[in-house]
Amino acid sequence: MNKLLTGDGRTHIESSLMRESLQDRDVIKRTHSANEYEILPDCVLVGVGGHSIFDRGRSALLPLVEELAKARAAKHKMVLGVGGGTRVRHTLAIALDLGLPTGGIAQLVGAMEECNAVFLNALLAKHGSIVMQREHFWELPLYLNSGMLPIVISIPPYHFWEPPPEDGPLPAHGSDFGLFIHAEVLGMKRVIFVKDEDGLYDRDPKKHADAKLIERTTLGALLADMPRELILDRQLFDCWRTARHVKEVQIVNGCKPGMLLAALEGEPVGTVITKEAADV
Amino acid sequence: MSERQLIPSALAGSPLTGGEQVAYEGVAMMPSVKVIKIGGQSVMDRGRAALFPLLEEIGRIKDQHRLLLTTGGGTRARHVYSVASDLELPTGLLAALGGYVPRQNARMLQMLLAEQGGIFMMTDDFEKLPLYFRLGCIPIMTGMPPFGYWEKPSEEGRIPANRTDAGTFLTAEALGAKRVWFAKDEEGLFDDDPKKNAAAKQLPRIGAKELLSRGLKDLIIERSVLEYLTRARYVREIQVFNALVPGNLTRALAGEDIGTIIYRD
Repeated sequence: MNKLLTGDGRTHIESSLMRESLQDRDVIKRTHSANEYEILPDCVLVGVGGHSIFDRGRSALLPLVEELAKARAAKHKMVLGVGGGTRVRHTLAIALDLGLPTGGIAQLVGAMEECNAVFLNALLAKHGSIVMQREHFWELPLYLNSGMLPIVISIPPYHFWEPPPEDGPLPAHGSDFGLFIHAEVLGMKRVIFVKDEDGLYDRDPKKHADAKLIERTTLGALLADMPRELILDRQLFDCWRTARHVKEVQIVNGCKPGMLLAALEGEPVGTVITKEAADV
Repeated sequence: MSERQLIPSALAGSPLTGGEQVAYEGVAMMPSVKVIKIGGQSVMDRGRAALFPLLEEIGRIKDQHRLLLTTGGGTRARHVYSVASDLELPTGLLAALGGYVPRQNARMLQMLLAEQGGIFMMTDDFEKLPLYFRLGCIPIMTGMPPFGYWEKPSEEGRIPANRTDAGTFLTAEALGAKRVWFAKDEEGLFDDDPKKNAAAKQLPRIGAKELLSRGLKDLIIERSVLEYLTRARYVREIQVFNALVPGNLTRALAGEDIGTIIYRD
């Protein structure tokens, strides 16, 4: 039974954090433990690129939809997410020209991702997809247990409260990061990003013909020597450092049939980035 | 495979993974709004004795300013974090759970300020602020930012790095305000916890970077706020003052440097 304690002008509920300052480093340490509960551990999060896949229209999307349907038939437990693509870039360009604040820009961009979620849902509905809104977070187990393919929001709902970026006015927390953190909070082990390149390169392969594909690397190696041109949000790698659950991020080419299925089967296609014990 | 159908724009084709060079001239949304956080443990948990005089003071000065009140959590939030840590739940879950208590506190404040125009709002109502101000209302909302399940895992421990101080700060930053106020139960920032160490010295003015570099074991404000202050575009200083002393709120809002000013250095 919890006790109520008074005597210093305040009424406290007895707990290990009672009367404590939550800024106190020793108090923060006390809330640490090596383990963390896994909420939905046996799913894989699959992020489909907006710019890389959606903006290519039917020639890229329809085969990918077929592949996702096959993956569902093969009983892969997947949570899907999508990027916003060129409309996000246009939104940002206009918003920057207008001088809108960073938080205001963050408030706007999610709508363009949602359009792609609706597109994907229209194509996948007959295979059991469903768009999950932020307020329906706890319906995920319902969808997954009934064999559906939930499409979750990808831009994190930081909205007007987007923290000031380290550099420039653009919000730093994009859809790759949002999907990563979604997987992490639910205790998932793997995130697969479907893009239009074979994986992560040492520089942008669209601009440099001699860019080299990095087939396998670790988070530690990437953090030590981050390519200047990246295929995923920088924030994802920064956040992964302190993450507890996600062990592997894989990038596959969704324009090549079979790559996503192979990745879901555990094959090391594309780029596989792992987090090793030494990377923390 | 088809080519991408791109909309021409300054950022068309950009991978948007950082380092974009863009021209930008920011426009402040509502810089005159004064965002004040009413502390949870420091004010709300003291109940009537602390709150009623403060609310009376708010009633007296409300027509001189556009006030936006935010609330902290306090002891019930600590209880939630304590139970959740014991269950080894992830930080994002603590952040979502931690949002419930300040929301209750905001509702309590609204009931007590209803006669004065207190109006409860959710973070999703943020764009209705101009209406509330035009009607002479005092909007009241949780200090917790809406990150919830999307809060990043903390460097250490499980307590979310962005709680009601951070949310309050980011509210002011989004509005383009220069200063943001934190109503607590101490005369600002001390070099140690004044509740535990009677010899702790009060600091009237200090830079955010300087404060961070001191590596203090404890602080009166969330560390994330200090980090955000070092790179904020609009907020230049935060003021932490003792709201238990009658008149302090009035003086702080009039621009008097009481309590502690933490500035962007």
